[in-house]
Amino acid sequence: MQTRRQFVVRGTKLVAVGAVAAAAGPTIFVRDAKADGQLKILQWSHFVPAYDKWFDPWAKEWGAKRGVNVTVDHVGFADVVPRATAEVAAQSGHDVHMFLGLASAFEEHVIDLADVVAALEKKYGKQVELAHRSTYNPFTKKQFALSDMWVPDRGNYHKEVWSKIGMENGPSTYDDLVKAAPEIKKVAPQMQIPIGVGLSQDIDSNMAVRNILWCHGGSIQDKDGNVVLNSPETLRALEYTKKLYSVGMTQAVLSWNAASNNQAFNAQETAYILNSISAYRTAQDNKLPVLANYFFTPALKGPTGTQLASEHVMSGYVVWKFSKSQDLAKELLVALVDASRDSMLGSKLYNFPSFFGAAAEPNTPLNRKQESGAAWIAAQCNKDPFGSTPPDKLALLAKSLPWSTNLGYPGFANPAEGEIFDTYVLTDMFAKAATGALSPKDAMAEASTRAKQIFDKWRQKKMVPGGGKDK
Amino acid sequence: MNTTTVSAAPVLHAGQTIRRADRRLGVFMLAPALLYITLLVALPFLLALFLSLTNSSAGSLEFSFVGLQNFKNVVASPVFRRALRNTFVFTFVSQAAVMVLGNVLARALMRPFFGKTLARFVILMPWAAPISLATLGWLWIFDSTFSVINWLLKVVGWLGPGQWYYWLGDTTLGMVAIITIHVWRMLPFSTVILLAGLTSIPNEVREASAIDGAGTLARIFQIEIPMMRPILTVAVLFGVVFTFTDMSVVYLLTRGGPYNSTHVLASLAFQDGVLGGDVGRGAAVAIFLVPVLVVLAIVMLRSSRRAEVV
Repeated sequence: MQTRRQFVVRGTKLVAVGAVAAAAGPTIFVRDAKADGQLKILQWSHFVPAYDKWFDPWAKEWGAKRGVNVTVDHVGFADVVPRATAEVAAQSGHDVHMFLGLASAFEEHVIDLADVVAALEKKYGKQVELAHRSTYNPFTKKQFALSDMWVPDRGNYHKEVWSKIGMENGPSTYDDLVKAAPEIKKVAPQMQIPIGVGLSQDIDSNMAVRNILWCHGGSIQDKDGNVVLNSPETLRALEYTKKLYSVGMTQAVLSWNAASNNQAFNAQETAYILNSISAYRTAQDNKLPVLANYFFTPALKGPTGTQLASEHVMSGYVVWKFSKSQDLAKELLVALVDASRDSMLGSKLYNFPSFFGAAAEPNTPLNRKQESGAAWIAAQCNKDPFGSTPPDKLALLAKSLPWSTNLGYPGFANPAEGEIFDTYVLTDMFAKAATGALSPKDAMAEASTRAKQIFDKWRQKKMVPGGGKDK
Repeated sequence: MNTTTVSAAPVLHAGQTIRRADRRLGVFMLAPALLYITLLVALPFLLALFLSLTNSSAGSLEFSFVGLQNFKNVVASPVFRRALRNTFVFTFVSQAAVMVLGNVLARALMRPFFGKTLARFVILMPWAAPISLATLGWLWIFDSTFSVINWLLKVVGWLGPGQWYYWLGDTTLGMVAIITIHVWRMLPFSTVILLAGLTSIPNEVREASAIDGAGTLARIFQIEIPMMRPILTVAVLFGVVFTFTDMSVVYLLTRGGPYNSTHVLASLAFQDGVLGGDVGRGAAVAIFLVPVLVVLAIVMLRSSRRAEVV
């Protein structure tokens, strides 16, 4: 007969064995499955949901042709980096991980994709410069990621409102925003925020403030990786933003998340935002009243004529060193670039190919592939296959490459720039200066100190150059 | 005599065996809890302490010791000092509100009224709702452009033309929003605990106090609260520790904005350590939670023990 104590002891042993088996089980099964040909991809939930509907079956079909079971897991854009951090710590997870911005902080844990890029360049010609500068570290000479696409970041303006103030083509300089804001208040008093440039802790604001900084001649680093944020040009950008905030913005822009500027523009609560075409596609899908007045401008020019905008999204696919399917992963990335046309159409012209040549007409000679690809891209933008009225509404996107640049401009993207981006050092500086929480000079000094700390840390790790000429 | 000696020896031996076996069983039964605390509390804590002295980053398994550099940088940062202050404000204001409102609700729920079961269910809802889902709802309520509260205030004439509350775009209003949601979230738990405490007080005690001429306030402060002290201590201890280490509301609602002014230590540690990838700095920020939590725990447990003795 079993005593109560024996029952407890035996029961506990059973539970313990069960727990160990349950904990070990998935590991064992996953490893077996990988050995049989499995590829796991971590992908973001695209801002244009149609893309996910294209990508997932495409990836599975690609795998099926090779007898590989492809799994695609989607996470929100804000979870891409935390998920990567967790997988690196566990040294386990997906084989391919898609970053939206800078994957450079994870350089040590990813394989070198130089051979993939070399093969693609041999096939399609050079990739666009901003993609190269976002995925290659010249200091360590490592191609840590592969970009298949990037997204232009242009202005959206409300045609009717801007026409009423005599600027029917919208603003073309940053100064135009300051001049227009009081006029917009007069002709459209129902709009809460005449100019909707975000100054909050979110991805869109992070790009917007960089655009303002660059167009006023400032930058975080110089081309050699020295921290040069503490400069008269930065001060000028901050003073400009303070002025713009006082005449044309409200505290709402300090709290925006990635969707807020879209929502404000689509609800006709603002007359100008900086964004990709995802907000426009949402307005189209929902047949919103704003649609007839939804028009676009290229990047605005600064006081000296500098016209630059950060890419809105830059894909950076990495293959983890812990992946057991590295060759398969590389094949997938090549196939993804091969499918650049489908990818662009699948995203409703949100994605722009990083290898223009991959969008070329078939059988085009290598030396003409980039040109041919650019022509195909322009043809899509000049006659939007997704129902824009007029059909050439998106035409300016085809001309966005000259004014688009990478995070880290005028240098290469690097982990220090990534950390400054992810901890909102710049948006913090701009918001403090704009609202008067700090004087522009103090805001700049505070941000510069933090930027130098971050750069110094990464220099100690020998992943970022410069330091000799920090300001 | 002999019989007594012979018969006494096996009894003593059996007692010793039982005690030894009980001790073994006790250790065995405690082992899972000890293992849990060691693996999921002690080791991560020691690891965090260790990482705070290094330049460890999220994308790397290599690091070197930097001494107290992370702590020096963190203390010098205005964002950290603000987050430290916010953590105390967030914890103590929200806990004070929870205890007062919890008491009011618990007393209301003690009385019989029509629809009491439904009222209890509705009050418990915030505790059961996933915080991410609930905060998304609150995000719309406090949205700077489309706030439902503002529209309501416009309709009733509180806000005139051009007037608007930017709940999440203003440092003070941002903290008000964060505290409001946290109070809403913690209130059901407190209410249930306080209700249990109130119902455990025998009615004879209340009747005796009424006969002795005690008024409502005297009854609450001189009889009920002292008698509920152990259970109040548990509610406050749990609430304070939970709030002090919580980052979910801040992260989901303001992400620390505007301009990093509504961070609490936990959300700042997450931003620096996980999003920014500076694990050493993130660990240093998080370590600042420990001494406060230790002091709080000691104070609360001592006061609880004293209450038990009384």
